[in-house]
Amino acid sequence: MVSGRLNSRERVLGLFQGQEIDPIPVFSGMGNVTVHGLEEHGWRFPEIHLDGYKMATAAASTPRLFGFECAVVPFDMGVEAEVLGCEVNYYAHRTDILYPTISGKLAAKVEDVDIRVPEDLQGAGRVPVVTEAIRLLKEGLGDEVAVGAWVLGPFTLGGQIVDLDDLLKMSFKKPDLVNSILEDLDRLLIALAGIYKEAGADYLTVREMGATSDVISPRLFGSLIRPHLERVLASIESPKILHICGDTNAIVGQMAQCGADAISVDQKNDLAASRAEIGPDAIILGNLDPYGVLVEGGPEDVERSVGEIIANGADAIWPGCDIWPTVPVENMEMLMAAAKKSGGGR
Amino acid sequence: MVSEERDAEIMARLQKGVIEFDEELVREASHEALEEGVDAYHAIMDGLAAGMDVVGELFTSKEYFVPEVLMCADALNVGLDILRPHVVRGEKSRVVGEVVIGTVEGDVHDIGKNLVKMMFEIAGFAVHDLGRDVPLDQFVEEQTRTDSDIVCLSAMMTTTMLGMKTAIEKLKAKNPDVKIMIGGAPVSAEIAEKWGADGYAPDAPNALQEALNMIKGLRKLESQG
Repeated sequence: MVSGRLNSRERVLGLFQGQEIDPIPVFSGMGNVTVHGLEEHGWRFPEIHLDGYKMATAAASTPRLFGFECAVVPFDMGVEAEVLGCEVNYYAHRTDILYPTISGKLAAKVEDVDIRVPEDLQGAGRVPVVTEAIRLLKEGLGDEVAVGAWVLGPFTLGGQIVDLDDLLKMSFKKPDLVNSILEDLDRLLIALAGIYKEAGADYLTVREMGATSDVISPRLFGSLIRPHLERVLASIESPKILHICGDTNAIVGQMAQCGADAISVDQKNDLAASRAEIGPDAIILGNLDPYGVLVEGGPEDVERSVGEIIANGADAIWPGCDIWPTVPVENMEMLMAAAKKSGGGR
Repeated sequence: MVSEERDAEIMARLQKGVIEFDEELVREASHEALEEGVDAYHAIMDGLAAGMDVVGELFTSKEYFVPEVLMCADALNVGLDILRPHVVRGEKSRVVGEVVIGTVEGDVHDIGKNLVKMMFEIAGFAVHDLGRDVPLDQFVEEQTRTDSDIVCLSAMMTTTMLGMKTAIEKLKAKNPDVKIMIGGAPVSAEIAEKWGADGYAPDAPNALQEALNMIKGLRKLESQG
């Protein structure tokens, strides 16, 4: 048993090394910026995606304001696609929370996609913005708080660069063609993850939300997507986490065998069943509802949810997706307090 | 006119073509139907749409997933293109109701929305499709312009579904009588109720059923009023 004297960074990294951390750590591999962090600087949401200093400052605000045990960048799912030449809509003039989206894909049809990974990936698109943010986080709070970064999974990135309905159909009709595109994307993601690690990220999350069993069958996951996740994860330095949201119970066993140090699921997953399936030693994170509970619920709902998640076998309190930025202060405070009160994980 | 037996055979072939996403079979069976004098509307409803009902069941029971359903929809559309020009105008083509549909601003996913749209069109709804990443005020404007009975809002991700909440408020403020249905992966019946939506659908077949119930409710109100 490791005592509570460790700082957040040591607690998070210790968890991935298989130590039992008491009290249970509260962190995430996905976005956790809040409007409370933005308000301090008077920044609007669109600004923090385009400037390394603002990105880092916004990411650092959640650990600083609430004691959340990590800082994570980037915030949006457009970085990788933008590097490949897609157009991103930042909703630049909006004052409310809208996450950037891909407004111009590389092609409508999978057959027409031509993937060119820039030779200077370090300097491409917003990669310099994200790496600057990681460096600033590492300098500013990196001794105390874990710094996380994430990339999309290859299939999810595929859905960003080409029309998703065509990608899904071609996954059936022309799996070899889709496979060759995913291979190109694997290379980009491996290189990008390496750049983020090099810049100082303590852990890397691969978010393959497009491969959820809400969308594709467990069989297709196994034949088409899993080999690429295995390949990408094999080339990323530990600690590394595989996240898939939605209905994941049918694939949670496969997820656990993709080579990640931990898997992450969202609130649609039956966590107790997943724990039973993957065994006592595998690390499983997530299951906390980042909107229904954290934003729409009251502190009592947050407290109850933390208790259930621990009881069902989670290794950390980890929101199942990006924390929705309008999360009430009292809910964030309860999140931290409830975890502290509940003691260690399993 | 074809025999009852032959008619059943053609319907079965149309259904099979849709269910097994066999576009060639649907094309053949649709042409056979027309050549042999089968009523085009009957072929659409009892052949193609009936096949899609089975696809909906296969989706619900997790035998089919989204790629399979998309391929079934493609097969269905092959048949629709052939048969629809031959539907006799009249009672059968009466508009069941009018629907405004779109994916809310901030979300560029439209697969679910397009499937729902297709089911509505087959069932005889007039559908006003606003597309994806739709500014919220546009839903209000289009509903007002078309005086549609139902507005359907879709969002694919937790990070985009919040727009629906605002859209519901705007729509209800402008027209308290309009029926609003929401759907998409992160949405639940609880959220729909909390935000004041009139309906929630986890998938396309349920969306159609929910819409037909709403229309029934609206018609009842009108006949009483």
